[in-house]
Amino acid sequence: MITTNSYVLLSAILFTIGGIGFLVRRNVIVTLMSIEVMLNAVNLALVAFNRSMPKAHTGQLFAFFLIAAEAAEVAVGLAIVISIFRLRRSVRTDEADLLKN
Amino acid sequence: MLLAFALSPLLVVAIGALLLMLAEAFSKVRTGLALGTVVVFFAGLALSASVWLYGLESIPGLEVLAPWLIIDRFSMFMNAVLCLGGGLAALLAGGYLPEHKIERGEFYSLLLFATLGAMMLSASGDFLTLFIGLETMSIGAYAMTAFRRTSARSAEGALKYFLLGSFAAAIMLYGFALLYGATGHTDLAGVGAGVKSGEHAPMVLIAMVLVLAGLVFKVSAVPFHMWTPDAYEGAPTPATTFMAVAVKSGAFAMLLRVMLTCFGDARSMSWSSGWPPVLAWIAVLTMTVANLIAGRQESVKRMLAYSSIAHAGYLLVGVVATMKNPAQGSASVLFYLLTYTVSTAGAFGALILCGRFGAEAVSYEDLAGIGRRHPAAALPFSLFLISLAGFPPTAGFFGKWFVFRAAMEGGFTWLTIIAFLNSVLGAYYYLRVLVFMYMREPAAGAPIATPMRSGYVNFALILSAFLVVVLGVSPSLSLDVAVKAAAAFGGGAG
Repeated sequence: MITTNSYVLLSAILFTIGGIGFLVRRNVIVTLMSIEVMLNAVNLALVAFNRSMPKAHTGQLFAFFLIAAEAAEVAVGLAIVISIFRLRRSVRTDEADLLKN
Repeated sequence: MLLAFALSPLLVVAIGALLLMLAEAFSKVRTGLALGTVVVFFAGLALSASVWLYGLESIPGLEVLAPWLIIDRFSMFMNAVLCLGGGLAALLAGGYLPEHKIERGEFYSLLLFATLGAMMLSASGDFLTLFIGLETMSIGAYAMTAFRRTSARSAEGALKYFLLGSFAAAIMLYGFALLYGATGHTDLAGVGAGVKSGEHAPMVLIAMVLVLAGLVFKVSAVPFHMWTPDAYEGAPTPATTFMAVAVKSGAFAMLLRVMLTCFGDARSMSWSSGWPPVLAWIAVLTMTVANLIAGRQESVKRMLAYSSIAHAGYLLVGVVATMKNPAQGSASVLFYLLTYTVSTAGAFGALILCGRFGAEAVSYEDLAGIGRRHPAAALPFSLFLISLAGFPPTAGFFGKWFVFRAAMEGGFTWLTIIAFLNSVLGAYYYLRVLVFMYMREPAAGAPIATPMRSGYVNFALILSAFLVVVLGVSPSLSLDVAVKAAAAFGGGAG
């Protein structure tokens, strides 16, 4: 039996995977994908919670807004990645070390 | 019609941003964009002031906008502070970008859109509008940080800011989703009522930690401050000014509204089982770590970045003081934001003024001897640094005074003492700039800095110097305004 709790548990697992991926991986593209996994975990949680509150569609609506805003954010993010790749020929976060005290 | 009047500060910035973007795309004329941006910002400022004077009580139908946008005296005050900060950043951009040959029209539209996001953030009463406002603000700030396309430092600062910013936003959003699951609401007041009822307590607690982590990141407090110095140093200085001033003010407005509306019940605001002790320790860490590291910097721009982290710590002391008296604590935070805005924008403006194309003033050495050679550039710089250090008779002194007094009266004597000791520690690195400007000469063979000439930058400096002195000599009027603005939170748990 798949209940709301199963979905919420899945979203928690996805969120953790994304968070660990963000902290561990050093490739910017993979890091961006980890953030996407985290945001999609948020979407899943919102839609799952909405299932147990069928009177309004707040959670689903929120998820739509989130998808649109994510797209805008990633567009800017990829532009920054491209500009750093042009200048440094690398997309590894541990090689981005020009700014230090 | 009156409703449009109440929304006019937001509308004028939004329409101004769109018009300037079109003008930039379709017209051959490149001059005047900076002037247009400044006019839009000051129109927003004037409209916020006139809505304030007209009185929001006599505007019917504001509840139609709730909970998406809450137009109250708090958001009107924040609109004015944000338009002032954005306007000062636009003035600095009008001088800096042409001087350093990176003037492209997008910068001004990005500046306006990002300010619009911050204004929306401070007015939002629902997680949905809060999130949209936050993203509008952040995306604009990311793009402005990366604006100098040929500079690897600019791109690197933007990359770090973007990655950590999105990570923090995702964490905060998961907190929002959990709060929605626990209470069935996404509007702040509804969530607050749900949290107060005490149902689903473990889930609410996890959500509170996640939301708090996201908020603390956005105000750049320790231990979530790692992006700040890099982004501030890499960005073009007007963008740094914008981030230090408007992004931080917007984030603090969001912090106050979320914490006092969603987690404003007696249990969440108690010392034994709520958020005040967490924020108090974060404030202590933020002030101490930032001040210690700031003293070791060789770059003045990076020192100012750490100084802005330290100021986030002082502001958090004011937020902690809301535990005993929400109105007084938030009033002190609002007044501090105003004084911090004029002092910080002025300090970055003076740093811009001290350099020119190919020889941007960045390090302490660059500023050596400038006080004797160019007193007109060094004098305002000294004034802003003295204000940031918190000496009377400047704005910074009263900002600190009211925050410390709110903390004392809330019974946080130990926190006030730590904050006071920290502001003494902070004076060291601010005064070090004065020592270099007035008592050192540039090393033999080192390039000698000459100030740039720009009416925009001069005007920004005159305006912020005027405000620093006025707020420092007679703070009562603006404090009165801040108290009225914070009255929105007077009905908290106490």
